[in-house]
Amino acid sequence: MIAAVIFFGMFFPLSILSEFIFIEPFFIIYVTTELAFSFALILAISFMSAIVIPMNIYRIKILRKKTSKIGTSLIGAIIGASAGACSCGPVGFFIISTFGAGAGFATAFLTNYEIPLRLISLGLLCVVYFTTTKSISTECRIR
Amino acid sequence: MNKLIPVIISGIAIALIVGVGFTSYYAQVVEVQELRDKALSIPKAERQLLNLGHSSPVLGSTNAQITIVEFGDYQCEMCHMWFHNTRGAIIDNYVDTGKVNIIFVDLAFLGSDSPIAAQATHCANEQGKYWEYHSILYYKQEGIDNGWASKSMLKEYANELKLNSNQFADCIDSGKYAKNIQDSYNLAGQLMEYPSTPTFYLFNHQSGVVEKISGAQPFSVFVKTIDSML
Repeated sequence: MIAAVIFFGMFFPLSILSEFIFIEPFFIIYVTTELAFSFALILAISFMSAIVIPMNIYRIKILRKKTSKIGTSLIGAIIGASAGACSCGPVGFFIISTFGAGAGFATAFLTNYEIPLRLISLGLLCVVYFTTTKSISTECRIR
Repeated sequence: MNKLIPVIISGIAIALIVGVGFTSYYAQVVEVQELRDKALSIPKAERQLLNLGHSSPVLGSTNAQITIVEFGDYQCEMCHMWFHNTRGAIIDNYVDTGKVNIIFVDLAFLGSDSPIAAQATHCANEQGKYWEYHSILYYKQEGIDNGWASKSMLKEYANELKLNSNQFADCIDSGKYAKNIQDSYNLAGQLMEYPSTPTFYLFNHQSGVVEKISGAQPFSVFVKTIDSML
């Protein structure tokens, strides 16, 4: 249940912000060939977040373990989300017009390195997935 | 407690990104509804705002029934996408047949090179090559503020189009169109609560109906919208 909420809660907003899904004036999913990889990365990040975050919530609640892994997985998700928020969209305009030149530089960086940042995000989520899986299986065996 | 801080900060940041995105999206939906409601009451003078001197020249027949007004930024990746994937089909099917014309309004906000690139198109317009220069910028686009739209590169593109290089250089160095670009930016602020690029306003000059399309949407969306307005 939590996984489904996280997946759809990330996938739809990120796809809308990145202009892969449009709702007005008609609902349409539009992925061009040149942006197919970017769309696949959003899908992968949402999927991995939906697996990794609930696993860590379980780890914290049931096994009473440290919060460092969920912190890392959230950082992974946030990198993906930030790089995915299209700079030319309303989010970019809001950030640049509110926070000025520094925000403009950050937006430019996020846009210019969108694909590598999403790959880093996915990499972080994969690392957290494997360490969490290992840690949960070990801890459950001990208990 | 200290370990929770990055989690809280990350959560707030994600919530902020998603929140701003959805708030702006909701505002756009409301704005479109209001536009539809008010379409017939928009005074002609207000619609003529879109024909102010600081926008582009008209692409297509000046007698076309529908005008598409594009708000765009030359460094915007999505404007580039729209230019390469949708614009050509609109020109072939609607502009060349005299049903639609296109006006481009600069909404130059993405970095310091954006306003300069926008000014350069108006300098090219002095030599009658606005749309050629507009197109060359969308063919050359490579990101935001990474040099492709620097003044020296903009002058090179002018040479490629065989513009008078001295006249072009004087124009761009003087910054004589800077105020025009700022006026266009302000116009976008008046029209849109949360401006973004590309944004399209479709005006039917006969019925007064106005439709708005946000984002680099596919040709099929424009076909449905335009055909419903004709």
